[in-house]
Amino acid sequence: MSTINFAAREINCKIVYYGPGVAGKTTNLKWIYKQVDDSVKGEMVSLATEDERTLFFDFLPIDLGTVQGFKTRFHLYTVPGQVFYNASRKLILRGVDGIIFVADSAPNRLRANAESMRNLRENLQEYNLSLDEIPMIVQFNKRDLPDAMPIEMLRAVVDPKGQFPFQEGAASSGGGVFETLRAVSKMVLERLAKSK
Amino acid sequence: MIEPSIALYGEAFAKVTASLDELLTKAHVRYAMLVDRKGFVLAHREALWAPKPPTLDSIATLIAGNAAATSALAKLLGERRFNELVHQGERIGLYVEEISNEGLLVVIFDETAPIGRVKLFAKKSIEEISGLIDSLGSVETTNADLGNDFALDASALLDDLFKGM
Ligand SMILES: Nc1nc2c(ncn2[C@@H]2O[C@H](COP(=O)(O)OP(=O)(O)OP(=O)(O)O)[C@@H](O)[C@H]2O)c(=O)[nH]1
Ligand SMILES: [Mg+2]
Repeated sequence: MSTINFAAREINCKIVYYGPGVAGKTTNLKWIYKQVDDSVKGEMVSLATEDERTLFFDFLPIDLGTVQGFKTRFHLYTVPGQVFYNASRKLILRGVDGIIFVADSAPNRLRANAESMRNLRENLQEYNLSLDEIPMIVQFNKRDLPDAMPIEMLRAVVDPKGQFPFQEGAASSGGGVFETLRAVSKMVLERLAKSK
Repeated sequence: MIEPSIALYGEAFAKVTASLDELLTKAHVRYAMLVDRKGFVLAHREALWAPKPPTLDSIATLIAGNAAATSALAKLLGERRFNELVHQGERIGLYVEEISNEGLLVVIFDETAPIGRVKLFAKKSIEEISGLIDSLGSVETTNADLGNDFALDASALLDDLFKGM
């Protein structure tokens, strides 16, 4: 992965992990980084505070390989979930191709999930984008918590219209991490193939 | 799909490379790169004597992130843009300056290169390269022939990538 010469045909997809603070976005990315083969992953870059909260973004490039003559690559980003950091979140959303919305199953984060989803819609709107066009999957994370909220209840709050596919996750032990990424990647690539 | 903002190949790519090479030699810097504001590495050159550089993708992503934050700051403060950025450590220095609208020149040097010299030759490169970039059209999207086969193939590769996980 060094110089790109654009005579070579490449496809680059930007996938963004969105969602409220401490929901587990960075944890998803760390798991992917730990598990995938060295030959397909680049370095992981994390801009975080002392206490490991994302400050600007995490970034991890993944090479899928060559598809029909196109070198295909995913750029995975996480945003900072804390409400405070909206300016950074907006910057990261620029050029997004697919979104993984990581929701927190902890009962006291119900409201934070809803607020983050509203914030996502608002930020997309500033780029004239909407969730009707950008592929998105919801990951209900922290299913391992003994007091995890029931999925139906979470879904009613995060996605009342039942519009988005979802996946259960327990990212700190890897649960659902790859399933979620694979699902959104497929949606992104299918949309790519269709739009042409 | 995110695409590099500048379609740099063929003759233009060769010219950029030549300009970066000249910068390397004349200013005696370690690495000279052209990246775009989205974090793509468009061209990279390193001096023969320089140690192996850190991951270029990481550098480019951080430079682009930094540039995005800086330009958001400039706008907040009512400026169109802030010019060149120089970071100087004990041994290593970093110089970043906008090229045209979408490009960024990144120069990494050490104590063997006086900063004045780096800036002088960087400006010269910027002039050459911005002229070149402005004469290029915008990126043509590579939409040609993606179709069902593409989706199927990609899907198979995805399954492969995540096999057994
Ligand atoms: N019990 C449990 N804890 C989790 C799970 N996933 C993440 N965590 C924990 O939640 C905390 C926050 O995780 P992060 O991945 O840093 O959260 P984030 O969404 O990146 O947060 P911000 O960077 O602030 O937006 C960490 O202590 C994780 O170990 C999970 O599936 N179950
Ligand atoms: Mg984080």
